[in-house]
Amino acid sequence: MEVTDAAVVAQVLAGDRDAFRVLVDRHSRSIFRVVYRMTGNQQDTEELVQETFLRAYKSLERFELRANFSTWLYRIAVNRTLDFLTARKTHMQTKDTYQIVDNPDAEDSAQIQLPAQGPGPDRLVLSAEMKQKIAGALGLLTPAERVAFTMRHMEGRSIEEISQTLNLKASAAKNSVFRAVQKLRQQLEPYAGPGTSSRGARWSGSAMK
Amino acid sequence: MNHLSEEQIVLHYYGDAEEATEVERHLAACAECRAEFARVQSMLRQIEPLEVPEPAAGFEEKTWLNLHDRLPEKGSLLRRLFRPSPPKWAFAGVMALLLAAAFLAGRFWPRPGQQVAQQPPSQVNPQRVVLVAVGDHLERSQMLLVEIMNADTKGPINFSSEQAEARELLDSNHLYRVSSQQAGDPQVARLLDQLGRVLAEIANGPAEVSPEDLEQVRHAIQSEGLLFKVRVVGSEVNSRVRRPEPSGSGVNQRL
Repeated sequence: MEVTDAAVVAQVLAGDRDAFRVLVDRHSRSIFRVVYRMTGNQQDTEELVQETFLRAYKSLERFELRANFSTWLYRIAVNRTLDFLTARKTHMQTKDTYQIVDNPDAEDSAQIQLPAQGPGPDRLVLSAEMKQKIAGALGLLTPAERVAFTMRHMEGRSIEEISQTLNLKASAAKNSVFRAVQKLRQQLEPYAGPGTSSRGARWSGSAMK
Repeated sequence: MNHLSEEQIVLHYYGDAEEATEVERHLAACAECRAEFARVQSMLRQIEPLEVPEPAAGFEEKTWLNLHDRLPEKGSLLRRLFRPSPPKWAFAGVMALLLAAAFLAGRFWPRPGQQVAQQPPSQVNPQRVVLVAVGDHLERSQMLLVEIMNADTKGPINFSSEQAEARELLDSNHLYRVSSQQAGDPQVARLLDQLGRVLAEIANGPAEVSPEDLEQVRHAIQSEGLLFKVRVVGSEVNSRVRRPEPSGSGVNQRL
């Protein structure tokens, strides 16, 4: 029978440092997937995976043995990634003329050119071009919006999970998801062709209450 | 009739809208809001989860190997008590080397009034600006390392301000390392790699550390002469920044 994560944690806390390897073997791939969806960059992701495990190891005393280790680890990974994205954003804002190679996978994210007329939506769905536009639009979100949107939209996490993970109120978590979608619409709807633009201006002050 | 707000429509798509029944009733009755909901739905359905590449075979092994030496021992008091501590002469040696480096840097530092080449802003070489940033980064890192080396070791030590600084430096460190690697400057890249490991250790530690923990961090700083290297490479980077740029060679200049 496989030893549980909690039993391995207890072993590590008792002084068996090498037992931590079991947890790395079990969880590093899933953490890789979570972090990659938020950074979109393999090298950053590999480093953040290591950072996550290092932080987890150092805080292991605070892990409650009855809790779920993978959920606990997931929270550490998301928060570490959020810190990283925030620092990167600040860095790029203050030093955007430095030509620092930051995120090669999303290098055009700040330079989306909106065409006057795009191809029809059906064609775009599957096109690589649209994928690139989506990646670019995601790159324009704030770190908090990107993380909240990734968790809600791509991982299907509930608002409650998002607020617990990011230590936010539920209303703030909802707001982050909403702001992310709003920005994505602004970037992506022009590609959906004529007749599909949103009613934008009418939203101000006319909401159903 | 008031229409649904954009927020209500978006949150309804995810099933997170408050007063969901009223929103549904409104959608059933209002063609305009229904069309708006369909647009949101269509756009969001296009956004599929990012395709995640499969990490290379042996990823777990690599992660563990990179991690292993950075994991402090836990639990066993006996192990902690008998952990070999760095010899006192090592610290004294590093300090002596630092003094020598400071003396040399002082001798060759340009005096006030010494002519420094200046370029109009339109001709600023971006690589040179990165170089300035790396110089600043190394200076800040050096200050942090010196602070840790000189911290009082009596009783529990509050490490939170050092941790905050280390976290900030850690993220910039990664970016500068990638930049220097790509600019073909292995010396700076190697140093930043080594510095990154120590910064990560500081950043990820507990906010309050024991004298033993502090000693361990100091050992990591001393083990490969990190402080000395940061000082020397920092001086070298700064002198490269001050060096006048040969015309036409700026863009490809190494970091």
